[in-house]
Amino acid sequence: MITVESLSHRYGDVTAVGDVSLTVEDGSFVVLVGANGSGKTTLVRQFNGLLTPDEGSVTVDGHDVGDEPVAARTSVGMVFQRPRDQFVAATVGADVRFGPENLGLNRAEIRRRVDDALAAVDMVDRKPDRVDRLSGGEQSRVAIAGALAMEPSHLVLDEPFTGLDLPARRSVLTRLDDLHEAGTGIIVVTHDLRDLLERADRLLAMSNGGLVADTTPTDLSPLRDVDVRVPDGR
Amino acid sequence: MIGYESETTPLHRLDPRSKLLGQFGFAVAALAADTPPVLGVLTALAVGGLAAARLTPWRVLWSYRFVLVLLATAPLFASLRLGPPWLDPEQAPGSVVAGYQVLLVLLVSAAYVRTTPVRETRAAIQHHVPGRLGQLLGVGVALVFRLFPVLLDDLRRARLALRARSGHGLGRVEWSRRLAQTGLSRAFERAATLSLALRARCFAWNPTPPRLRFRWPDYLLLVAAATLAVSPLLR
Repeated sequence: MITVESLSHRYGDVTAVGDVSLTVEDGSFVVLVGANGSGKTTLVRQFNGLLTPDEGSVTVDGHDVGDEPVAARTSVGMVFQRPRDQFVAATVGADVRFGPENLGLNRAEIRRRVDDALAAVDMVDRKPDRVDRLSGGEQSRVAIAGALAMEPSHLVLDEPFTGLDLPARRSVLTRLDDLHEAGTGIIVVTHDLRDLLERADRLLAMSNGGLVADTTPTDLSPLRDVDVRVPDGR
Repeated sequence: MIGYESETTPLHRLDPRSKLLGQFGFAVAALAADTPPVLGVLTALAVGGLAAARLTPWRVLWSYRFVLVLLATAPLFASLRLGPPWLDPEQAPGSVVAGYQVLLVLLVSAAYVRTTPVRETRAAIQHHVPGRLGQLLGVGVALVFRLFPVLLDDLRRARLALRARSGHGLGRVEWSRRLAQTGLSRAFERAATLSLALRARCFAWNPTPPRLRFRWPDYLLLVAAATLAVSPLLR
């Protein structure tokens, strides 16, 4: 479980996130919506200690993120908005292997995790391929595999559909469905709710650094004042 | 840009530690070579190494073209004097030989880069240089190999963007200034993003290394490397 208590984060004089508290249950599918600059990315980057709060605290599965960042980073996998930004190696296999190697696991366990993570995104036979030669959808899937290889209890995807065409978007959504079914908590950060409403258990909305709505897909009325794209007819 | 390609060439199958020592031996021999026959033998070895890595000399030369420009102009700079007669052509041949020696080392390093994954290089360096220094060198090499192609790609995009917006109308100085400014700003941005990605993936100074294994061809390469390294003493 991720617990955020009275969290604030500032960039200089600008408050990106102000006094946000929330909990995210294990195995849930949460969609965090809000316009550009509303503080979504700043908030989720606190979940695994990539950013440190100016005030407040974050705990993941009982571990304080500030005190135990490695525990938090293994529990909360992060997929960046642009998958290419996330790659730290030249080939698919080497990139997915990078995280487990840093955890100091033995080679057999590393191999198992890499195979499982790549199987989960249907890329198991692409280990030798160079990441910079993959399509946008394939890069997204490898980025997800890189996070999955840490065997996180939650997977955070920051604007995962940016720049993806329809087949690639569907492919990523299918992988997310499989992961969610297998018990991984999914947190999708987006400003576009298409294809997500039927999957989400919970919708959180941010505006000007504050959490302004905490609702379910059956009641979108709290999102009325939030600048997000809602599917036609809802 | 030459980068690692997953293939099954004989060089791919060699242990990175023996390849690093092979490069070292070759570099010693190349930098000490000063006669055409020795340079000829070393050239044949370098071209053979490229062929074993399935690389053509032309591709490597094209990839290193900016370095080649520097090497080609080196004799001119070597001939310059700070007073009359301003030019001393007798200094040029030495500089030409030195440039060729560097070129040979670059050819062999291209074969290495093409056939060795960065993580194996990192492990090999940490094996050869134990302790914190080895870790630092290993990480440094790994980061350079990761960042450099990305930065070159960014520069290429920046150049395209300038052209697409009629940047060709700018003077050379203004064009270069804008390109340098954009390149530098993107380099900082890339470095920050990479640092974030490394932290997100639990970067460790001493990760589980890949399995490195010496086979009989590695021992042959070691003998060749040792022979090359001591060859300047035998002449």
